[in-house]
Amino acid sequence: MFTHDHRLCSRRHVLASASAGFGMLALRAMAGVPLHNRAKAKNIIFCFMDGGPSHVDTFDPKPMLKKHEGKAIGEGAVTKRSQSNANRVWMGSPWEFKQRGQSGLWVSDLFPHIAQVADHLCVVRSMVGELPLHGQQNLLLHTGRILGQAPSLGAWVSYGLGTENRNLPGYVVLNNDWVPNGGLENFGSSFLPASHQATMVRAKGMPVDNIVPHDAAAIQRRKLTLLAEQDAEFAASSSDARAIEGAIANYETAFLMQSAVPSIADINNEPAHIRQMYGVDSTDEHQRFYATQALRARRLVEAGVRFVEITCPSFDGNNSPWDQHGLLKQNHEKNARITDQSVAALISDLDQRGLLDETIVLWAGEMGRTPHTPKVSATAGRDHHVNGYSIFMAGGGFKGGMTFGETDDFGNAVASNPLNIHDVHATLLHQMGIDHERLVFRHGGRDQRLTDVHGRVVTELLA
Amino acid sequence: MRLAVIAMFCLASLTKAQDVTFFESKVLPVLKKRCFECHSHEQKIKGGLALDSKSGWEKGGESGPSIAPGRPEASLLIQAISHVEKDLKMPPKKMLPLAEIELLTEWVRQGAPDPRVGTKTTELAVDDAWEVEFQKRLDWWSLKPMRRSTSGSVDGFINASQMAAGLQMAPPASPEVLRRRLSFVLTGLPPLDMSDPSDYVETLLNSPHFGEHFARHWMDVVRYTDTYGYEWDNPAKGSHEYRDYLIRAFNDDIGFDQLLREHLAGDLLPKQRIHTKAQTNESLIGPMFYHMGEHRHGSSLMFNGIHQEMVNNKIDAFSKAFLATTVACARCHDHKLEAVSQHDYYALAAMFTTPRWTTRVIDAPGKNDVAIARLKELREAIRQDLATLWARPFESSKLQTWATAHTDALKGIGAPLATPADLPKLAATWQKSREAAQKTNLAFKPASLEKWVIEGDGFKHGETDDGTPLIALEGESVVARLLPSGWHSHALSPKLPGSLRMPPQHVVSGKFVSLNLAGGEFGGHLVVDDHAFQNETVAFYTNAEPQWKSFADAELKNGAQQVTVEFCTAALNPNFPPRTGLAKGLKNNDFGHDKRSWLSITGIVTHDAGGTPQDELDVFTGLYQTNAANDPWERIATWINAAVRHWCEQKAQSGDREVLDWLLANALLPNKAEPGSKLDQLVTEYRRVESTIAFPRTVNSMDEREVMPAKYPLNVRGNVDTTGELVAPASLKMLAGDRITSRLDLAESLLHPEHPLTARVYVNRVWQWIFGTGLVATPDDFGRLGDKPSHPELLDWLAREFIREGWSTKKLVRRLVMSQTFRQSSVVTDAARERDPANRLLHHYPTRRLEAEAIRDSLLVVSGRLDPQLYGRPILPYRTAEDDKKRLFTGPLDGHDRRSIYLQMSIMDPPKFLVGFNLPDLKLPTGRRDVTNVPSQALILLNDPFVNAMAKHWAGELMKQDDTNEETRLRDMFERTLGREPHASEVKRWLSALDDFGGDTPVAWERLAHAFFNAKEFIYYR
Repeated sequence: MFTHDHRLCSRRHVLASASAGFGMLALRAMAGVPLHNRAKAKNIIFCFMDGGPSHVDTFDPKPMLKKHEGKAIGEGAVTKRSQSNANRVWMGSPWEFKQRGQSGLWVSDLFPHIAQVADHLCVVRSMVGELPLHGQQNLLLHTGRILGQAPSLGAWVSYGLGTENRNLPGYVVLNNDWVPNGGLENFGSSFLPASHQATMVRAKGMPVDNIVPHDAAAIQRRKLTLLAEQDAEFAASSSDARAIEGAIANYETAFLMQSAVPSIADINNEPAHIRQMYGVDSTDEHQRFYATQALRARRLVEAGVRFVEITCPSFDGNNSPWDQHGLLKQNHEKNARITDQSVAALISDLDQRGLLDETIVLWAGEMGRTPHTPKVSATAGRDHHVNGYSIFMAGGGFKGGMTFGETDDFGNAVASNPLNIHDVHATLLHQMGIDHERLVFRHGGRDQRLTDVHGRVVTELLA
Repeated sequence: MRLAVIAMFCLASLTKAQDVTFFESKVLPVLKKRCFECHSHEQKIKGGLALDSKSGWEKGGESGPSIAPGRPEASLLIQAISHVEKDLKMPPKKMLPLAEIELLTEWVRQGAPDPRVGTKTTELAVDDAWEVEFQKRLDWWSLKPMRRSTSGSVDGFINASQMAAGLQMAPPASPEVLRRRLSFVLTGLPPLDMSDPSDYVETLLNSPHFGEHFARHWMDVVRYTDTYGYEWDNPAKGSHEYRDYLIRAFNDDIGFDQLLREHLAGDLLPKQRIHTKAQTNESLIGPMFYHMGEHRHGSSLMFNGIHQEMVNNKIDAFSKAFLATTVACARCHDHKLEAVSQHDYYALAAMFTTPRWTTRVIDAPGKNDVAIARLKELREAIRQDLATLWARPFESSKLQTWATAHTDALKGIGAPLATPADLPKLAATWQKSREAAQKTNLAFKPASLEKWVIEGDGFKHGETDDGTPLIALEGESVVARLLPSGWHSHALSPKLPGSLRMPPQHVVSGKFVSLNLAGGEFGGHLVVDDHAFQNETVAFYTNAEPQWKSFADAELKNGAQQVTVEFCTAALNPNFPPRTGLAKGLKNNDFGHDKRSWLSITGIVTHDAGGTPQDELDVFTGLYQTNAANDPWERIATWINAAVRHWCEQKAQSGDREVLDWLLANALLPNKAEPGSKLDQLVTEYRRVESTIAFPRTVNSMDEREVMPAKYPLNVRGNVDTTGELVAPASLKMLAGDRITSRLDLAESLLHPEHPLTARVYVNRVWQWIFGTGLVATPDDFGRLGDKPSHPELLDWLAREFIREGWSTKKLVRRLVMSQTFRQSSVVTDAARERDPANRLLHHYPTRRLEAEAIRDSLLVVSGRLDPQLYGRPILPYRTAEDDKKRLFTGPLDGHDRRSIYLQMSIMDPPKFLVGFNLPDLKLPTGRRDVTNVPSQALILLNDPFVNAMAKHWAGELMKQDDTNEETRLRDMFERTLGREPHASEVKRWLSALDDFGGDTPVAWERLAHAFFNAKEFIYYR
């Protein structure tokens, strides 16, 4: 989309760089916008639990569900924000909840590893979405709009803060060969400059498209020398030297990326105890992929990448990994087996390296799951639910071992302190030193924000 | 947040006060203090709402009445002050003290007593306020009449503007620069032929690649896609037919007026445009335009909001593509800047949701007529031949012998034959069952088929009498079976498509409608909830014998106005193939083309209670209701013989066919043709003719036959749960469209020669395609957020000339590329750069980067690989990871050497190579592509396997010319990649690199070729 205002912005950039040439422009892009407030955190790792893990089976214990299991929920429990009707019945959790760590935070047995880092978790139990549908909620979670067509959170962070490492992109998605509902738009830059869109790094095979040099280094260097001479002449004789120079400069960056990206993606030299901690050598293929990506996430933030997102692998041809409309027990367990250990390892590893203070680990799906089901059985599942569900943040100045907000006795509706995605976005940006009302980009005739016209910084969550 | 509000209402249990006193002493002070600043005549009337009179709140603002007396929960004012809806918080900054909210809530609960009747006589009604604003907004350049110039030329207008700025055109471009420029601008390909004919422009305009290139431009504007994206990325049925239709149209220079008519209302045109060579009905393809973009599955009956979101995309595309107006901004409120009201938006929604959005056959009418007529003749001849063959009566003794040997087979026609001795008792039972069935059947009324619509030759030629033979298309049998009376899409050939489209369920009389249905090979039905653009309630039949299926009236909720059902074969099912897994037996990598899909409909009844019609057992009438012989076997023989005789004499009665079908199934009637016999020849000829029928070509389009104009509920504040008035179809008021009610009239209104936007918008697009930037730099927005024209007189002159010359794209293009303005070089002076850095005055031709497709296509051309074949189904792009559930399979690395326009445009995962160079978002109309500069582009050109494969292939081709030396070869490479001769220093530079790459060896030439692909000059032209 090439719009009027986008072009204006380009013009502004052009003017800013007119005296100093391309170098200044590049520098500006790296530096981002000036910080609005003191940053607590420098990086975000977003563990995206695609499909919607059940809140009443993970972080929001509801003993009433067991007690009333099989009883019809009744008209009063039906809401637009979940797949519901009066004849559905309550279903208790197949997993036991226990209080963990010194804080006594409730975590179910579904997550034995995450339970061990409970004192780091800042759990929000009162997330409210807009529609109980994957595509819309995914886009809302990522772009702040159910229709998308706006930059992703990661793109905003990259745009706002720039990158600390010019050989690496500012926003990386560690993908597991699965495009979430809502499509690649979840990771796009939309009207922000294209350099802020996510670079996809795959678990399987070659991590990044076209990153492995086709030529031996000496040959490639020779090609680049030839091209540098040839292109310099072309640029000099061109009416639009700046664009050509930009394209030329890209070759230098690309050349460096060829070595920087694979070396970060390569986890072979990580010590055995670290590999073990993440589960990199698991016999389960999907766990292996996820663990590899989690470990890469740490390496990427160490190298200065601002925003890293890890997606879940899809293992059974389901609509999305955590979307257990049936076989809740079996497949939530499978998802937990794939992700639990690595997420916990990531938090511990960052903590041990002193990086957790400056890195926010965000764990969130796009929705929760209904505390009710059409019929209780061993193969029963839970359906879509956005009327009070759980997510957590760890590190980066968030208060550990706490919960915020409540759902009702059945986990069916938010009961206190409702938060929406915009509030979470505002708070994340705040911790990164950005005022969500001031991080704007002129587009479509107005100053666009990640949080649109919403959002509040939830100071109650902060240490 | 809702909970909080409910709690508040519970708290608000104030005691009652005397109405008037209560209002004046309590309510009014609060209104004055808190609301009047923005909502009173003395100050401001924001959002059209005034609270300084009773009629003010009764009428309400833009969002409708603000108070529902007695019902605080339904009152916008209470919602607003309670800050429950994030889009409606009043006062916006700070919530009122709780006590005041409670007070106003209680006031409303008491019925909102307000004694201020008639106190304001000078009220400005909301409608009037909008009217005043509307009139103001009409004062805008793009809504004013196009100027009239008596004479003019492109260069004249451009020169004049330059002169005024003290600038002048750059000197003419060199022939080689111009050749490369013309080639890319007109065909999107590098010059294929290095010779430079004097009529090069004509050569290019006549090249079929012109149509491909301009079709691709237009495809950006209409958000072309081959799939529907969202969760499953289902194929968009027939989108490639639309793409090919565009290519033909641009090559044949079909007027833009005709294209516009076809896009908006091709299905309604009194005269359909038939392409004789392609044998297609072009007009019917046009409305595929509406179907482009993302489609969400499911329907608003399940989740409110689904069709509303889709409709938004359609309105956005329509208004941007043809009017460069952002009507979609008026979904939630009157447009903030333009003369477009919220009412306008919903009037268009009503217009666009009036027709059925469904699949049409685009084969030229009568394409199969000759074959069909011949098949009917042959079928009749076969029937007559069989009648002779079958006329011989059965003898009772032989029947008895057969029956003894085949007791199992007898069950097929029911118990009676198995126990012939019990005839009298059975006759009584039969009589009883028959009477019971007849009584039951009284509740079922034959449906009036007046408003039902059929589509496709299958049903058009598939209505059969009872007992019509279905000729076997393979094997030894002559007849596959005898068809019951009804419609059978496969009666002549299962390649013929058929669809029966029901009127809205609630319009069909009775609470239920039931159909007797059979089908196979993905023939089935699709329930269409209103404008659920991709409903998944799809069923595929696998029963050869008809079975009754009932469809009950649906509960209409969430703004859905109707539910219909379409009974269709695969080719006419708009959601076939559905998402993976829904069509049993269809492999994930089967994109659903060319199915021998069939459907039989043998009865349609309506009824008010459940259940389905019962078999009245006509088949046994001849057995039981007779005075024939008492010997059971005699009687049976008489019964059977009568049935066969009836059929042979073409006097078949109800039930006869079943007898014959049973005889056939049990090989009791001869059903093989003697080799060389007349029957054998007839069957062979039938099969031959059937094989000449092509599978149907179908496209998602529109069908407005027998529909009622829709009225679309206005969504108050855009909220799909708050519906306001029902809006009737109309066009935009700013274009005097309030009395236009049909899509055809809409199209014609846009084509009025004095229409201020249509021609301007299109001419501006073409200008941009030729010069890189439009005269209006924002091609999709001629409104207040868009740019103003750099040369308004030129734009108007071109638009008028364009109309005068019959809306001809080629004439317009020729006019532009023949101008001196186009033919100047890209040399820019310091003065020009200083005074007009953006080159809005066209003082030189800009340096332009190739579009994504042109980069990939150039690689194919230069390496000698391009397959210039036109048209066809989309080719899957090369992928490194597949997802079979979403049909994201990989295609060949080289895309079969075809041009990029033929690669599958998947919303979920578009071709990565093209995305790398700014292929636009496939969901949204894009009038102007981004041109970005990012390192991943360098990585693609350096390391992508496709680029390297092309370099290798090209080097191989070069090595085949062994009678040449290094320098000649190098010069040839310069010509092919950059369209020019190298300078001496360049020859030296590249030959030196060749040396370093390994001298005169295949691998060194490959490296050199690859370096050419990475030269900036390769992906730019000027």
